[in-house]
Amino acid sequence: MSEKPEKKKTASEDVEELKEVLSAVSTEVPALIKSIIGAVFSEEAGKNMGRAAAAFYKELKDSGMPDNVAVKMTEDYIGVFTSLGDILKRVGEGKGKVFISGGEKGKEIGEEIEKRVKEKLVEKKKAEAEEEEE
Amino acid sequence: MGKTRSLLILSVMSGAVSVIRLLGSLAVIYLGLGWKVRKARRALEKELRKAGMSKEDARKIGAQYAAVKDNAIKAIKRSVTGFRFG
Repeated sequence: MSEKPEKKKTASEDVEELKEVLSAVSTEVPALIKSIIGAVFSEEAGKNMGRAAAAFYKELKDSGMPDNVAVKMTEDYIGVFTSLGDILKRVGEGKGKVFISGGEKGKEIGEEIEKRVKEKLVEKKKAEAEEEEE
Repeated sequence: MGKTRSLLILSVMSGAVSVIRLLGSLAVIYLGLGWKVRKARRALEKELRKAGMSKEDARKIGAQYAAVKDNAIKAIKRSVTGFRFG
């Protein structure tokens, strides 16, 4: 019985806290998203990326590359920036696993790195345990 | 008792207002995104045209740039639908 008023107080405090969190989130999250979008999709960002791609294309053309090849290479060059989304997606799906591009070989390297990291962690834990014992 | 309840209701209502405000801001950002992408794409194409690229090729590369938005939205949708509490 004596716990009842305390519980009520906690519940109202929780609600108050939730209210504050929601109010902070509702102002901070849109501002954060806006700034991220502004960095990737703005006139200035497009212009900068266009300038970089244009310089790349111009260099290729000046060095005597055929037009279709230069365009293809410029597409690939832009693709490096645009494929960042795919990388992020893979990171999200990986849940802590190491991903290296390059098909089977990349997978093998990734597995090897994971194995080595795990071995090192085990060694480190053992060393810490030994130190504690001493 | 009554005072506590009214405080609780007020807090819940203010939380609901915050959520509605958040959703409204996100909707505004989503609606404005298309316009921003169009502007960025046009600026990119203009720079490519300046370097002597044909209009068609510049458009093709511009479309590739604009596709990032679709990919990003798809990724966000997937992460939101894949999110589980607990």
